[in-house]
Amino acid sequence: MTQTASAEVVIVGTGVVGVVVAEQLLDAGISVVMLEAGPRVTRAEIVENFRNLPLGIKGSASSSYPPKPWAPHPMPRTGNPDEDYLQLDGPDAYAQTYIRYAGGSTWHWAGTCWRLTPDDMRLNSRYGVGRDWAFDYETLDPYYNLAEYKLGICGPADPALQWPPRPRSKPYPMPHLPFSPGEEKFTRVVKDALGYTNLPVAQARNSGTPYDERPACCGNNNCVPVCPIGAKYDAATSLKRLEEKGATILSNAVVHRIETGEGNRIEAVHYYDPERQSHRVTGKHFVIACNAIETPKLLLMSADSRNPNGLANSSDQVGRNMMDHPQMGLTLTLDEPYWLGQGPVVNSGIMETSQGDFRAEHAGAYFRMNNFARNRYETFNALKTGKVGRALDEEIRRRTACTVNVVAAHEILPDPNNRLTLSSRKDWLGLPKPHVYYDVGDYTRRSADVYSMPIARRIAEAMGAIDVKEPTQFAQSKHLMGSTIMGNDPANSVVDTDCRAYDHDNLFLPGGGAMASTACGNSTITMVALAFKAAEALVSQAKGA
Amino acid sequence: MSMSIRTLTRVLAATACLAAPLPLFASAPAPGDAGTPDSTLARGAYLATASDCTACHTVPGGQPMAGGLKIESPVGEIFSTNITPSTSAGIGDYSEAEFSEALRHGIRADGANLYPAMPYTAYTHLSDADIHALYVYFMQGVEPVDEPAPETQLPFPMNLRFAMKAWNLLFLDDTQIEDDPRRSAEWNRGRYLAEGPAHCGTCHTPRGFLMQEKDGEAMAGAQVGPWYAPNITPDLADGIGSWSHYELFTYLKTGKLDQAQAAGSMAEAISHSFQHLSDADLRAIAIYIESLPAIGSTANADGKVEASAAHDQNRFSHGEASEALASFRGDGYAEGLKGDSRGAQIYSANCASCHQPDGSGTADGYYPRLYENGVLGDDNASNLLATILYGVDRETEAGGHVFMPPFGEQSNAFNSLENDEIAALANYLLGHFGETDEAGKAVLEVTPEDVQVIRDGGPGSPLVMLARIGMGVGALVVVLLVGYWLIRRRRRF
Repeated sequence: MTQTASAEVVIVGTGVVGVVVAEQLLDAGISVVMLEAGPRVTRAEIVENFRNLPLGIKGSASSSYPPKPWAPHPMPRTGNPDEDYLQLDGPDAYAQTYIRYAGGSTWHWAGTCWRLTPDDMRLNSRYGVGRDWAFDYETLDPYYNLAEYKLGICGPADPALQWPPRPRSKPYPMPHLPFSPGEEKFTRVVKDALGYTNLPVAQARNSGTPYDERPACCGNNNCVPVCPIGAKYDAATSLKRLEEKGATILSNAVVHRIETGEGNRIEAVHYYDPERQSHRVTGKHFVIACNAIETPKLLLMSADSRNPNGLANSSDQVGRNMMDHPQMGLTLTLDEPYWLGQGPVVNSGIMETSQGDFRAEHAGAYFRMNNFARNRYETFNALKTGKVGRALDEEIRRRTACTVNVVAAHEILPDPNNRLTLSSRKDWLGLPKPHVYYDVGDYTRRSADVYSMPIARRIAEAMGAIDVKEPTQFAQSKHLMGSTIMGNDPANSVVDTDCRAYDHDNLFLPGGGAMASTACGNSTITMVALAFKAAEALVSQAKGA
Repeated sequence: MSMSIRTLTRVLAATACLAAPLPLFASAPAPGDAGTPDSTLARGAYLATASDCTACHTVPGGQPMAGGLKIESPVGEIFSTNITPSTSAGIGDYSEAEFSEALRHGIRADGANLYPAMPYTAYTHLSDADIHALYVYFMQGVEPVDEPAPETQLPFPMNLRFAMKAWNLLFLDDTQIEDDPRRSAEWNRGRYLAEGPAHCGTCHTPRGFLMQEKDGEAMAGAQVGPWYAPNITPDLADGIGSWSHYELFTYLKTGKLDQAQAAGSMAEAISHSFQHLSDADLRAIAIYIESLPAIGSTANADGKVEASAAHDQNRFSHGEASEALASFRGDGYAEGLKGDSRGAQIYSANCASCHQPDGSGTADGYYPRLYENGVLGDDNASNLLATILYGVDRETEAGGHVFMPPFGEQSNAFNSLENDEIAALANYLLGHFGETDEAGKAVLEVTPEDVQVIRDGGPGSPLVMLARIGMGVGALVVVLLVGYWLIRRRRRF
């Protein structure tokens, strides 16, 4: 074991949360070392990985990011538990996608940034379900503003098109992006037939202007799995800037143990390099920002005599309350062209359906018509028709124009039984693979039965669908939440309102794991807001120490 | 980093003005001022914009005209001065006469000489009325900032401010511009703006050994740090004689044509200065530039384009849409980087998402086409390499904010490409979109060493230029001392 690095603050994870916390610390004059399990790559390499993929797997967000042996991450499932990284159990499969690369999973996010609403943060007191947040929306609002300016989130200036529907305390830094022809049509149809407003998505993407010294979106429609020009924010775009500000970033450094000392304070983290040599990194404060699967896994792996059930786990809530946005996607064939694919892959959505008194009975849902260009998917269907030559081209063109994918993304309640534990199966380094039991639960299932799918069918009808393919089960949204849950009561919560572990004064666990409710909108902006809040507490703690 | 290089090139180019003979004009009734706003204050503000004072005297994001812009150079740091009307830190105590002396002769209120980073050799042509308007603007229209800019402290011989007096004696032509009655009012206005406040020749006129602008080669093109300020005379082959009047006007207004886009210090000049000038003034500048003696292969000794000259071959006419994806697609990135496909693979991975696989750019030209483009069709690769290394940043009312990320070592570099990668990319681009010979081979080829030169700041590298100026100053000092001694000796006898 060697001592390789030391800093005032040690951050494990170089995704958006780790990067945002790091920059706040560096700007406050606090030294930072960051550890990343996976490799550091150029955008050029990922872009070409994607372009070289066979068409059939271009839809897989992780296939452009082959995992290193020492930093495995979920790949398209084989069904063989010895090959698959995530060990899945329960009525529903928590088959998520994330990557262990420097820059983290924002490499392949769509960039969607829906804020929570005030009601989203008080489900229990308003509707008698789930958990209330430990603070209210007003507390989070300034951190949302910081997140929007840091990531460069474009959004509508018109209050009637803003989410949540309440006055903003600060305008978006950039205007929203225009709709594609298909989205224009969809917006008209859902308004005329159903009265719904299809909102422009607030998204971390440079709209018509450079921002953050990155270029403007030019509509490659390639946001997932990678923005080929860096117009979409991803954390990889910040890494060099952090280093210029003094950060040390160690990649291919797989943290496998967090070490505690006197007073149950964290003393160090230990990482393996690709030669399986272990190194010790010391600091005064520690941030674990590895996502809501890898963070609880690391806490559980670090069990010691002081913390026999794992670190930060006196509440027994570490790894519990695994959440996501269970989604149902319908593929519609229409009798007239919609032409999706101009602009970003997700560019608009109906959010009003996520709110209402019905939440006492079942989950709300957010509806969106994905704006992925359809030829990638429909080419295979066209081939199945047996057509060749010009007829085949025509068939691909017709299907590309006249098919759409409408998705209902649901909220889910925190359930302690939805739980991550350490599998007996080991990865290449001999570390346990994550095992997750998952059941989306009756609250969400009921929504699909009585609420969301009926709405989706009405949308399909209004759009003039001549064929509707409905899913038979929920799919995953890759929005990892809940596993180090926040609350005011240390008996049932892992972290306090600053994402500080109740059990360890100098350990912070910001990110999706802290979220006490999911609502229906994508989680990253809330994770980043929590990162800003945690960073503020960490700076004052570090300065006071 | 790119900012400091760009700024440095501006300052060096201005510094080079020191030696400019500027023999063009004799004496000075006020030139026509068609297009300038009415009130003296507003006219002063307009002239400050036309003179692009802000480029050097405002730190990006900082207080206007408060100076302090730091220019890293191998011989030391140069700081621009605070020219706000602060009496403690700026020029608030300057009388109009002192202000005029600084602008026209490079002499500070305390009598010390300014370094010719301040382009007084061009501003010296400003009319009395315009000097007055500028004075009123700087005293009344600029917020005083009491924070002094850091002092510039250069090592010997660059710290010999008094030596600048000798240069000024030799090279500063402070005559004001007289209207040419045979020419239109527009032409005269254009000449006044181009030779005075806008100082086009500072960058576009080639320079001799002592960095003086060469006689008879006005606007024929010159290296400015890593960038090349091209030939803008009306020669059909080598200049911009193939542009219409409207195109030249549009270029000054937006920095963007299908065949040419402003980058480097020209992007700064358009963003800060040209786009804010009145349409009448931009047309006037264009009229004057179009009237310059043509210099190039289609021009005769009188600066006239030969009637028989071919009209179809120039730096905006080469190349066509083409790609080479088939040579590597499907082989994997690492494979593609090997062998003959290397340049094409680098292009695909780094450039094609905006400029399109075949180099055709976007339909609206926001991301420009690469064929029939002056950067690729030129016989000098500086601008191609500088664009790759430093990117493009240009913002205009009419054209929006255009931004190409850099591919050097900047923190926002899209990808920090190595010299040999940039050379492979450049040679791929030149082969497809540049000038080729009958065998289809690129006429121009670049090496990794060429890339390093541009990475270091260009062939007229800061060190060389500064050393040369420094040597010149040193030599002059010796000459003057000897002359002084000789005169004294002669008097004694």
